[in-house]
Amino acid sequence: MNAFSLSFIIIFAAGIMPFLTLRWFSASRYIYSGLTTIGCIAGLWSLINSTAGSAQTEWSWIWLHSLTLTFSLDSLSSYFLLPVFLVCPLAAIYSFGYFDQQEKGLRNSVSFFFTNILILSMTLVITAGNLITFALSWELMSLSSYFLVMYDYSKENTRKAGYLYFIFAQTGALFIFASFGIIFSHTGHLLFSGAAALPDQAKQLVFFLAFIGFASKAGVFPFHVWLPHAHPAAPSHISAIMSGVMIKMGIYGIFRMYFALGSTDLLQGQTILFFGMISAILGVVYALGKHNLKRLLAYHSVENIGIILMGMGLGMIGMGHQNAIMAGFGFGGALLHVLNHSLFKSLLFFGAGNVIKETGTAHIDEMGGLMKKMTITGKSFLTGSVSISGLPPFNGFISEFLIYFAAFQGLQYGHSSLLSSILAIISLAVTGGLASFCFTKVVGIVFLGEPRTNGAAVAMEKSRAMTLPMIIPAICCLMIGIFPQIFINAAFAALADLPGITAVNPKLVDTVGADLALASRLFLFLFTTVMLCRKLLYRKKEITQSSTWGCGFTRPSTRIQYTGTSYARSVIDFFRPFVLVHETAVLLDKIFPGRIHYKNHTEDIAEVGLTKGFSEPLLALLKKLRWIQHGNVQLYIGYIISTVLVLLLILFT
Amino acid sequence: MESILSLILALLSAPLFPGVILKVKAFFAGKKGPPLLIKYYTLIKLLRKGSVYSSSTSFVFKLGPLVSLAGALMVLLFFPIAAIKPVFSFHGDVIALFYVMATGRFFTIAAALDTASPFQGMGAAREAFFGTLAEASIFAILILFYRMNGGLAFSEYFTGTMVISLTSPTGSLLLLVIVSLFMILLTENSRVPVDDPATHLELTMIHEVMILDHSGPDLALIELGSFYKLFFYAAFITLIIIPFNPAEGLFNLPLFYTVLTVIYAAIGLMESIMARYKMNRVPKFILTSCTLVFFAAILTMGFVQ
Repeated sequence: MNAFSLSFIIIFAAGIMPFLTLRWFSASRYIYSGLTTIGCIAGLWSLINSTAGSAQTEWSWIWLHSLTLTFSLDSLSSYFLLPVFLVCPLAAIYSFGYFDQQEKGLRNSVSFFFTNILILSMTLVITAGNLITFALSWELMSLSSYFLVMYDYSKENTRKAGYLYFIFAQTGALFIFASFGIIFSHTGHLLFSGAAALPDQAKQLVFFLAFIGFASKAGVFPFHVWLPHAHPAAPSHISAIMSGVMIKMGIYGIFRMYFALGSTDLLQGQTILFFGMISAILGVVYALGKHNLKRLLAYHSVENIGIILMGMGLGMIGMGHQNAIMAGFGFGGALLHVLNHSLFKSLLFFGAGNVIKETGTAHIDEMGGLMKKMTITGKSFLTGSVSISGLPPFNGFISEFLIYFAAFQGLQYGHSSLLSSILAIISLAVTGGLASFCFTKVVGIVFLGEPRTNGAAVAMEKSRAMTLPMIIPAICCLMIGIFPQIFINAAFAALADLPGITAVNPKLVDTVGADLALASRLFLFLFTTVMLCRKLLYRKKEITQSSTWGCGFTRPSTRIQYTGTSYARSVIDFFRPFVLVHETAVLLDKIFPGRIHYKNHTEDIAEVGLTKGFSEPLLALLKKLRWIQHGNVQLYIGYIISTVLVLLLILFT
Repeated sequence: MESILSLILALLSAPLFPGVILKVKAFFAGKKGPPLLIKYYTLIKLLRKGSVYSSSTSFVFKLGPLVSLAGALMVLLFFPIAAIKPVFSFHGDVIALFYVMATGRFFTIAAALDTASPFQGMGAAREAFFGTLAEASIFAILILFYRMNGGLAFSEYFTGTMVISLTSPTGSLLLLVIVSLFMILLTENSRVPVDDPATHLELTMIHEVMILDHSGPDLALIELGSFYKLFFYAAFITLIIIPFNPAEGLFNLPLFYTVLTVIYAAIGLMESIMARYKMNRVPKFILTSCTLVFFAAILTMGFVQ
């Protein structure tokens, strides 16, 4: 715990420093990035040491003489701390290059401060040992991230996104606290472990209440509405932390709650699996329909959370059938995907930040040809794209394979488990296919081909602080793909301290890891062999450059390139009932046609449903009750007194 | 040893069979057709040439052929040709292999978009869309096979004691799989009625239009990769139709290659009697294949027994 508390202090100090060194712009950035990185590395160091030694460490402190704040570290918390300490230092380094405008010094310092508060509150959430500690840390996390989203508060869009995020965070928190309340009312104390003693029906209620709350943080469809607004509004490294790490806290919460309750009802697993499938498929379909690079990536978070939930759901179904292999591989796959997603998603957000900063636009159809000018960004982004599409030999494939493994286990059961496993396998396959569809679109339209606008033509790679945070996760992605055993074992080890789960035969885990390693390495080997053969074939050959064959078209311009919109069109049409497409087009219609133009924009069915089906009727209803709120304080006090009286009458008769 | 021999034979003979398709098509058109070895001549011709690269392209353009060929090679390494034990195998290799092929597709598409040509973008979009749909059908087949023999590897399907084949007790379900797999073969290898490799209009092509700008050895690598891919799908169907005895080893080869030739001839027949579908009908075609297998998987649930 020593290195751990040290890292805590360093990160907090790093958050304060930018205020003290406000006058020296460069120095303050150096100090901030340096200290935060050191703090996170210290945290990482303590994790590596602690997992080898004792299983559980606890630490408690009585606050305000009445509330006991407990912090404990078990295998699951240690695992979830990994992404925090891996991604946050990268974000700190990235912010060095990203916040390069001196005139925004104070605003940057505030952002630095809240970033570190966010890092600390996330570690607190993960290490929280009882309900009240969890609740306090959770609120601290939501609030600090709210201030981070509001960085560009002068823009109206940002303020709207921040407001939306705030509402979702708080509503979600209400659901979580309600579930905590039910636990407390049954057990009378604040420990997670007490939840196991609840009656079955209360367990069901607690689980689903908590699930809604955590799902709104994690961005599970249809509770994800804030996510595609908040991510594009925040600075890129903040999006990386929020998407790579913070939304995983929702996943952590579901894990905690599920194992604390110890209920193995199949319904819970099937519900989680169902939400996972919906999130995965619709997340990627909406991503295909988006043209704003960061919004597109935000929808991919919805997709990946869906994949994680599918793993969890399968794991829970496995628990219900007491199938250790299915449970272990489902949960293990979900956990590994948590780590993988934090790596490639932060990488992609950093890349998006670089591209947007250089081209001055976030619209992907206004970019193009960046691979030649921004080589490092382009290559790392390509690595991230292949990884997030779940393709071998990169990391996304490893975790998806584990989830497949669990799903195939489920095929041996009858009826409901069989059907849900079949659906899980097919949705995982379709999600993978659509994800690679979407990322060929991003890579192809943004980085390949010819620049479509002036902004894209003059883009250059500038700061090393902005490319280094991309190179490191890119290497990690490949490493997890080639040496999967260590990471698979780590994911399985995270389950060790959880009650009720039977450990999977370590031999089987090792075999699966070795097999995956074989597949990745063999593929890499074949690739290198073919590459060498190609080199040989091209020896002493004439290689010339020319323009792309225009198929008889002699005066090509960069504007005739296929756009992201047209690329995704067919799939969007296929999913029409779930994606609302608005098109405005002026087409060729007269003999002497005028200027034509075409505009389309896709809408999220959850967002529309929430606005039309919930907010608007609610507002209409509340409008009728507005007379209650008239501003007369005496009458307000009257309301309170009469309410108290009525309540007393009900209670004491 | 046997497995390596059969693999080498497969690698060497794969370019022969597309020639069979051409011969069948020529026969139906009442023509003489190109020589049977035409694809070998094409490969040699391409390998001797140099290349012209579009000035719009980057290194990604050169990755396309490499990754797709490496993927196709890898699949054959894991595939029990003529029910002879494959070189490599593990429980779950089918998932890995279909994903490896998807990696190949990813880079082929990226290479196509790298040329900045509108036609290649069009082909890329179609390939990505149809490929995704075909993936769903393939995984439905894997589900059915798992229900039938608990295997998740090609070697477990075809070289164990409980071999998956038409003659097994649950073989009738496999009729649906064979039809569906044949439809997937046509889709994944860009044959009629999904795609017409012989057309001369770029707007109507899918796979061919994506590789328009590749030339010389690069194009040869792509062609070779596509021959291997087609060989794999045809061999897959062959093994389902005929129950080979794994113990017989290399003696399986003559029958295997005979049936394989018949399947290639069937592709040729298909191409002779059908026209290409309109693009918007292709998704329905692929989804039909998915439905067929899904139906078969449902039948294993024990409602009918």
